[in-house]
Amino acid sequence: MKTYERAFWPFLLPALLVYTLLFVAPSLFGIWVSLTRWSGPGSEMTWRGLDNYVALLHNEVFATAFTNTFVMAIVGGGLIFAITFLAMVVLRQLKGRAFIRAVVFLPMVISIIAIGAAVGFLLNPEGAVNTVLGWFGLDPQPWLGPEMVFRCIVGGLIWSSTGFYVALMMSAADAIPAHVYEDAQLIGATKWEQFRHITLPLTWDVFAVSAVLWVVGSLKIFDIVLAFTTAGTAAAPPIPARTIAVQQYIVVKGAGLPELGSAAAMGVMTLLVTAVLIVLTRRITRRDRVELS
Amino acid sequence: MRRLIGDILLPRATAVALWAWVAFNLALIAWVGIQSLKDSRDVWLHPFALPTTPRWDNFSSAWQAAEFSSAALNSVVLTAFGAVLIVAISAPAAYVLARSSRRVAAPTISYFAMGLSIPIQTILVPIVVVKLSVYTFMEDWVTGWWDNRITLLVFQVALSVPFAVFVLTGYMRSLPHEIEEAAEIDGAGPLRAFVQVIMPVARPGLTTVFVLNVMGLWNETLLALLIAPLPEERNLPAALLGLYSSMQYSSDWGGMFAGIVILVYPMIVLYIWLGRRIVDGMTAGISR
Repeated sequence: MKTYERAFWPFLLPALLVYTLLFVAPSLFGIWVSLTRWSGPGSEMTWRGLDNYVALLHNEVFATAFTNTFVMAIVGGGLIFAITFLAMVVLRQLKGRAFIRAVVFLPMVISIIAIGAAVGFLLNPEGAVNTVLGWFGLDPQPWLGPEMVFRCIVGGLIWSSTGFYVALMMSAADAIPAHVYEDAQLIGATKWEQFRHITLPLTWDVFAVSAVLWVVGSLKIFDIVLAFTTAGTAAAPPIPARTIAVQQYIVVKGAGLPELGSAAAMGVMTLLVTAVLIVLTRRITRRDRVELS
Repeated sequence: MRRLIGDILLPRATAVALWAWVAFNLALIAWVGIQSLKDSRDVWLHPFALPTTPRWDNFSSAWQAAEFSSAALNSVVLTAFGAVLIVAISAPAAYVLARSSRRVAAPTISYFAMGLSIPIQTILVPIVVVKLSVYTFMEDWVTGWWDNRITLLVFQVALSVPFAVFVLTGYMRSLPHEIEEAAEIDGAGPLRAFVQVIMPVARPGLTTVFVLNVMGLWNETLLALLIAPLPEERNLPAALLGLYSSMQYSSDWGGMFAGIVILVYPMIVLYIWLGRRIVDGMTAGISR
C-alpha cells in the first residue's frame, strides 16, 4: 500500500474537522437562526419561520444594500474583465510587461482600509482632487456625498481588484507557446483576432475560475465601503453606499438588542444569491477544454 | 481600416492606459510615504509638496495613538500563527486528496470547494454567538480567562482552509509521482516522507498559499472588528480605522499617514520580495 494511502485519514482529518466544525456546521446553524427571532445567547429564541425574509424584502434600506451588492457584482465584474481582456491583447508583447503586471497587482496587497483613508483624504470637499479641478476652472465635486459615494466606491473597487485578474490571466497566457502566435501572424490575424482565437480559448479555464472567484468575492464586499465612508459618521456608512455585508454588520453591532435572526437571514440570502450567480457563471463559461496537441 | 483599429489604435491606447495605471499606483504609494513625513498643516494645505524637514515623530505619535503598538503586535502574532496553521493543516490534506485513488477523495475535494462559495456573511451570526459562548464558557468553567484574539485566530484559520486546500490540491497534482517512490523504498513513514520529500518539492506552491494568507490575515477587517473590537485587542486595520475617525477631531494628519505606512509598507516589501511567485503558484493550482 502506498504511503499516502496509509496516511489518508491522519493527513486529511485535521482540515476536515476544522472545516466541518467551524465553517459548515456554523453555516447550518446560521440557516436555523435565520428562521427565528433571537438576540443572542441568554435570551429567548422564538420561531419565526420565513417572516425574517419577508420583512427583509419589504425593508427599503436592505433593498438598497441588496441592489448595491448586485450592481457591484455585475457592473463591477463586467468592467474588471473588460479591462483585463484589453490588457491581455497588448500585454503579451509590450516592453516591461512583467513590471506592469507586478505594479497593477500591488493594490491587492494593500489594506483596503488604508486605501480608503488615503483616497478619502484626496476626495474630501476641500481635498487635493478638488484643488486640482480648481486649477482647470472646474467646480469642486462632493465625491463622498450621498449621490456620488457609491460610484467612487465601485471605481475604487475596480482599481484595486483588476490587477489580480490581469496577473492571474497573464500568468496562464504566458504558458501558450510563441509559435502559435507566429502562425497566426503569417495568416494575417490582427492582435485582437489573435486574442480572440488563441489567447482567450487557451486561458478559458482560468477565466472560468476567475469569474467565480470574483462573484464570490464581490458579494462579501465590506471594508472598502467602511473605508470610503468613515470620514463622515463613525461606523455607520450612509445608506446609498451600503452593501449587504455592511448592513448585516450594522444590525449585528448596532445599538440595542441585535436582531440576530434578521442578520442571519441576510447571510442566507447572500448564500442563495451567490449560489445562483455561481451556477449562472459556470453555465456561461462552460466550454470544452481546448488543448494544444 | 480593420488593421488600423485592431493592430494600432486599440493596442496603443491600451498600452498608454496601462502605463498611466502603473504610474498612478506608484505615485500613490510614494505620495502616502511623503505625506507621512510632513506636519499636519502641510499635509492639508500643500498635499503635493515635498516635506520641508522630515517629521519622523509622526511615526512615534501614530505609534502611541489609538493603541497602535499593541495593534501592530496583535497583527504580527495573528498573521504569523494563522498563516503557519493554515498551511500546516491544509497541505497534508491537499496532498493525500491529490494523490489518493480512494473513492471518497473526489467528493471530499468538492466538499472543500463548496466552502469557497459560502460567503462569510452566512456564518457571521454564528461566529458572534460562538465568540460570546466560548468567552463565557471558558471564563466561568475552564480557565477563568479567555482572550477573543484566540477565537479570532481560530475562525480566521477555519475560513481560510477551503481556499488553501483548493489551490494546494491543484498544485500537488502537478507534482511528478516518482518523488515519493524513493522515500518509500528507503522505508520512510508517511510523515517523514511528507516533511522531507514532498514539502521541499512543493515549496513554490506552499509559499504561494502562505504568502497569500499572510496578506489576507494582515489586512483582515470584518472578522477583527466583530470578534476582537476592544482597543487592546484590535489589529492594525481596525486601529487605523479608529485613528482615521478620531483624526477628524485631532487633525493629526501626518500621524494618520504614518499609520497608513505602518500598515501598508510591510506588505509591499513582502510583495517585492516574493511577488511574481505568488501569482504563478496560484495559476498552477487553479488551472489543473
